[in-house]
Amino acid sequence: MSKQIWGLWSRKKERDGFWNQRRKTFFWIWLAVVYVMLILLDGWGMPPENYGVDYGAKFIAPCFSHPFGTDYMGRDMFFRSIKGLSNSIVIGVIASAVSSLFALALGVAAAVRGGIIDRFVNWCVDLCMGIPHLMLLILISFMMGRGGKGVMIAVALTHWPELTRLVRGEVLQIRSAQYVQASYRMGKSWLEITWQHMIPQVLPIYLIGVVLLFPHAIMHEAAITFLGFGFSPETPAIGVILSESMNHIATGKWWMAVFPGLLLLAAVMLFDGAGENLKRLMNPNSGNE
Amino acid sequence: MKKKILGILCCFILVTGGILSGCGFQKNGENDSGGQGKDSSDRIVCYVGHGFWDGSLDPVKGGFSYGYDFINNGLVRVNSQSEYEGDLAKSWEVSKDSLVYTYQLKEGIQFQDGSLFTAEDVVFTYETVMANQGQNGEVDLSKLEKVEVVDEYTVRFTLKEPFSPFLDTTAQLGIVPSDGYDSTVFDQMPVGTGPWKVIQYDTEQQLIVEANEDYFEGAPKIKRVTFVDMDNEAAFSNAKSGQLDVVMVQPSYAVEMLEGMRVEKLETMDVRSISLPCREPGTFTNEKGETVEVGNPVTSDASVRKALAIGVNRQEVIDHAFSGVGRPACGWTDNLVWGNTLEFQDAKEEEAGKLLDENGWVDQDGDGIREKNGVKCAFEVYTPSDEQDRYLLAMAVAENVKDLGISIEVKQTTWDEIAEKSYTQGVVWGFGQYSPMVIDNQYQSSHFTVQAYSNPSGYENQKVDDLIAEAISANHHKDALAAWKEVQTAYMEDYPYLYLVNVEHCYFVSDRLDISIDTQIPHPHGHGIPIICNMKDWKIKE
Repeated sequence: MSKQIWGLWSRKKERDGFWNQRRKTFFWIWLAVVYVMLILLDGWGMPPENYGVDYGAKFIAPCFSHPFGTDYMGRDMFFRSIKGLSNSIVIGVIASAVSSLFALALGVAAAVRGGIIDRFVNWCVDLCMGIPHLMLLILISFMMGRGGKGVMIAVALTHWPELTRLVRGEVLQIRSAQYVQASYRMGKSWLEITWQHMIPQVLPIYLIGVVLLFPHAIMHEAAITFLGFGFSPETPAIGVILSESMNHIATGKWWMAVFPGLLLLAAVMLFDGAGENLKRLMNPNSGNE
Repeated sequence: MKKKILGILCCFILVTGGILSGCGFQKNGENDSGGQGKDSSDRIVCYVGHGFWDGSLDPVKGGFSYGYDFINNGLVRVNSQSEYEGDLAKSWEVSKDSLVYTYQLKEGIQFQDGSLFTAEDVVFTYETVMANQGQNGEVDLSKLEKVEVVDEYTVRFTLKEPFSPFLDTTAQLGIVPSDGYDSTVFDQMPVGTGPWKVIQYDTEQQLIVEANEDYFEGAPKIKRVTFVDMDNEAAFSNAKSGQLDVVMVQPSYAVEMLEGMRVEKLETMDVRSISLPCREPGTFTNEKGETVEVGNPVTSDASVRKALAIGVNRQEVIDHAFSGVGRPACGWTDNLVWGNTLEFQDAKEEEAGKLLDENGWVDQDGDGIREKNGVKCAFEVYTPSDEQDRYLLAMAVAENVKDLGISIEVKQTTWDEIAEKSYTQGVVWGFGQYSPMVIDNQYQSSHFTVQAYSNPSGYENQKVDDLIAEAISANHHKDALAAWKEVQTAYMEDYPYLYLVNVEHCYFVSDRLDISIDTQIPHPHGHGIPIICNMKDWKIKE
């Protein structure tokens, strides 16, 4: 009983107080965007000297002049981590953009046209989801010659199936709606109907999908780079930094792993938070789940 | 919200789990891991790298072909002065035409299975390897015509053509018993005449050996040794917690302090160099009819190669890359009987700069890198991605030669890709062995592109080829050594390799253990294993 009252009360607070769902979502998105933009811009224009080699300053623990410490070649971990994360974010943005457009096109086409196209798209989705994700990433990245190009293609080509399913399901629902049927009867072509009725309807779910894809893409980029199939070791990238730091953990150089890891974690969690809140706001029904 | 907290918790557990897993080495079996605990007064546990684990222990298939005693003995072996001495053989003679080698064998030696060692076992071992040469990539008997029993304790080898490094071959091949040999069993449990008997071998986990009480030079003082396989970091963590008596470490770890252990830096003949492609860019068709892209527009200029050799500050490179562990090297080491140490002053930045200026390499656009006819004085150097120390070395060199106006981009990749890249770009190599055949391997022009990793610089010099042939076919050991030294002088001025450092192998050794530094041989290239060359002399301090 008390639980129910508490639930009602907190719901009420949410509705009336300052931190309502809309504000919360806005706050999360704002925070995520600022964080990413800061890192992206900082990393973009950073001169390579900032994380250059300085053998005189090997293995300095975090201090005022090196907030994240330095590594085995005296490179400043703060600048290196920022540069690395900005590289990862670029990959994440491009990959989630490509992946989501792919998903939108396939999902809508499958649902609207049906028949053989639908079966084909479903088959592709099953195929992609049938192979362990990391394995597929490694395979594609290796095939594309690794490096930045390999990772980008690999991450972009493997993140569409879930979103495709989602979009397809949504479109299937709308397709049987009366107004859509009416449009068909009035002689509109399927392309027009898709553009005017379908896309606007699936847009919310699509946008949430994109936002939620983004942390996935970053994580996967870091993961395959960590395993040695992504960015080459001379590029500053979070995966490279983390895998290098593993060599020095045994001797107690904890800062080489902790701070870059936290930076990555923060980026991923901010976007996850933004996506989750967006989902609740745009799709109120999920509150009943 | 709960979900998120759970997520954070999971991340935390993952991270700490990763950190702690290094310490997770489990003690195996009853008392196999001696450690520094009680009741381990004659048992030790060692980590000496990964070298054992990738192949068979059978000498016939290339197991332990390092030239020192372990489970099996060869006919001869290397001593701490890098000279050959009799092992199973008492003495040997070489005929005038250098085609016939006759070995007198020691008498009364027993194999670990109790059978007597005679000439027949030697013949059996060599004939088995000759018949199955394809299985043995370490000991090359292609120059051997036949091997025969003269009497019970005399063996005669007849060669197809004069081959002066044959003595080295007989040091590499351990003798197996003719009666008890079983190709399958010997992969894991070889039987030999050596100071150590295999008790248990679990591939890529552990190798346990026990002292051979009947060893003909006296039983080893340590009675049981366990070798464990793990990665370098895990081994270091285990050493930290006192579970290992000997731990190989990378030079960068040698500055650490461990309680109850000391650092031993042991002399080696292991040299790191960067190959500098000597040919002009173009295509090359080898004997096999394969056409490959070869050459590099920058390193094909001899003045660039020389400028690198005299301009780089080797000591500084060693300080930066290896925390000062290792010795500057300009060629092969002087602990080799055939080594011709080509000492010269390095770090001559001005002279190197002048040399580059004279040859048209001038920085015109002010970016700190020289150009000649629009070509930047820049090239790539490749290192294998599984060897951090080579990467560090290459990075330190790249930093060092920036001042000369030469730009080196360091890349890491797989060995397969390196084999291909070595025709057109620099590669960090590690070489060091007793046999002077390494010179043939690196400088003989006909090896280029035919064998992977041989003559990667594409070096071609008729005089060097002739001298190598002369050294190989020399009648006398002394003549051969003189010829090998001459070869080194002949290629010196061409600098096809940028020699950098003679590495020192670093180990943490438990304070209770004496590894008999006096009888250690200079270590060949061998990823840490060579420390066991004199394990029979090791003892636990009272």
